[in-house]
Amino acid sequence: MSLPEVHLAGGTCAEALRLVPVALAMREQGLVAPVLLAGGPDPTAVAKTYIACGLAADVTLPASADLGAALRRYDQLWAARTPAAVVVRGDHLGAALAAYWRRVPVMHMDAGRRSGSLVADDADGDRRLLAQVATVHLAAAPLAAMNLLDERVIAGDVLLTGGTAVEAARLLAERARQPIEPRTKRVEAARLLAERTGRPIEPRANRVIVAGVSAEFEEPVRAAMLTVAANQPDLDVFGGLRMPYPERSRLVAAADVVLTDDVDLAEEALAAGRAVLVPGDGGGLTEAIHAGSARQVSAEAGEIVAAMAELLDSRVRRDSMGVAGTPYGDGRAAARIAQATAALLGHGQFPDPMPARPQAGVHH
Amino acid sequence: MDVIGFWTRSWTSDDSTAVRKLLAPDVEVEWNLDAPVDDEELIQVQHRIAAFAETVTVAGETLAEDGATLVYDLVAPFGTARMVEFLAVVDGRITEVRQVYDVTLIDRYFPGLYEN
Repeated sequence: MSLPEVHLAGGTCAEALRLVPVALAMREQGLVAPVLLAGGPDPTAVAKTYIACGLAADVTLPASADLGAALRRYDQLWAARTPAAVVVRGDHLGAALAAYWRRVPVMHMDAGRRSGSLVADDADGDRRLLAQVATVHLAAAPLAAMNLLDERVIAGDVLLTGGTAVEAARLLAERARQPIEPRTKRVEAARLLAERTGRPIEPRANRVIVAGVSAEFEEPVRAAMLTVAANQPDLDVFGGLRMPYPERSRLVAAADVVLTDDVDLAEEALAAGRAVLVPGDGGGLTEAIHAGSARQVSAEAGEIVAAMAELLDSRVRRDSMGVAGTPYGDGRAAARIAQATAALLGHGQFPDPMPARPQAGVHH
Repeated sequence: MDVIGFWTRSWTSDDSTAVRKLLAPDVEVEWNLDAPVDDEELIQVQHRIAAFAETVTVAGETLAEDGATLVYDLVAPFGTARMVEFLAVVDGRITEVRQVYDVTLIDRYFPGLYEN
């Protein structure tokens, strides 16, 4: 008997990265047949992300620039090949609406994430609409689950699974080709110094900052990065948002500090145990700021320079943030999501939710 | 006949008579508002939206052979709420209407919309 098909709809590279561990977990559990879809405005980039993680897209859809086009692409696919369930992540509204229209159950990963902004936010609007059509809401953190309950989503439909960025980071770390190489001049200098002193000297790679912020903070962050780079010659600053995987993951894993207000990039940095600075109000990263693994900084160039210098100068400070870990997953989220999907389709039980994180100073 | 276009123009301009004519007698109606729904309740709520909103615009439209998906921006005096509508059409009549509202913003900007 053939297994029920579950379509995992990736509309962006960040979504694709987080869907791969779920597909692998589904294969391992053997209760449903995962089908990876590459869609969205740049399906080729999505397909390449799957490949970077060691899987290939089963179906690559034509590019869809807007919601209407995305709906049409998924609807055409599902009219001919209707899945038993669809897994979407984040704010991939087109796939979720198309599935809802075809009465296909929707598993929504990273459900309940909100910007926390009081100003109307289009992405939040899409996420709220998606919550209305989702069958099971798979929340990455307790606050996300609370957001859903505040929006009158039925508690029994919400499952705290964690996010799959931790598994994705692990997967990419296993497949990473090479660490950051020291620059040629440094290698040459180390060789000369070794010759002169008569003892071996390892050339050091430059320290790395990965920065990726929304347009709102671009100006102060650019000014701050110019100052930081001018003061510290052994520093490379990379723009992280438009970089393809797996290069982005490799740099994030090697970074001393990641400066971002982008929730996806921050989540990947937290999963890799990096210190994260968040310019602005930190609305979308409240849990990480509370946990101490991310630090909020005022969005002024001077403040950013000071906070960055403090972290770069102190490994203890950076490591203390890194060991706080990510509040958005415990490395078992993909298995929970796969199990929940199978349970929805009548195979086995729903999993237990992600256990609560121990709080500092509280003994259990 | 452009059933979808006629439907959109009719209800957004608060023409309940035209809306009634477009709905098939056995039309199936579903929504995510916290109230039971039938065709009469649907027409009442659409009338209230059309009357209260400053404008209702179609932000996105996906047409298929047997229906359509429409995304509306419902612009009220203090903010905009979004609604997605799925329609099935058979022989020039609408046989199925499924509406998904952003209930958080509907409650905020269209208070009392579906209270009788």
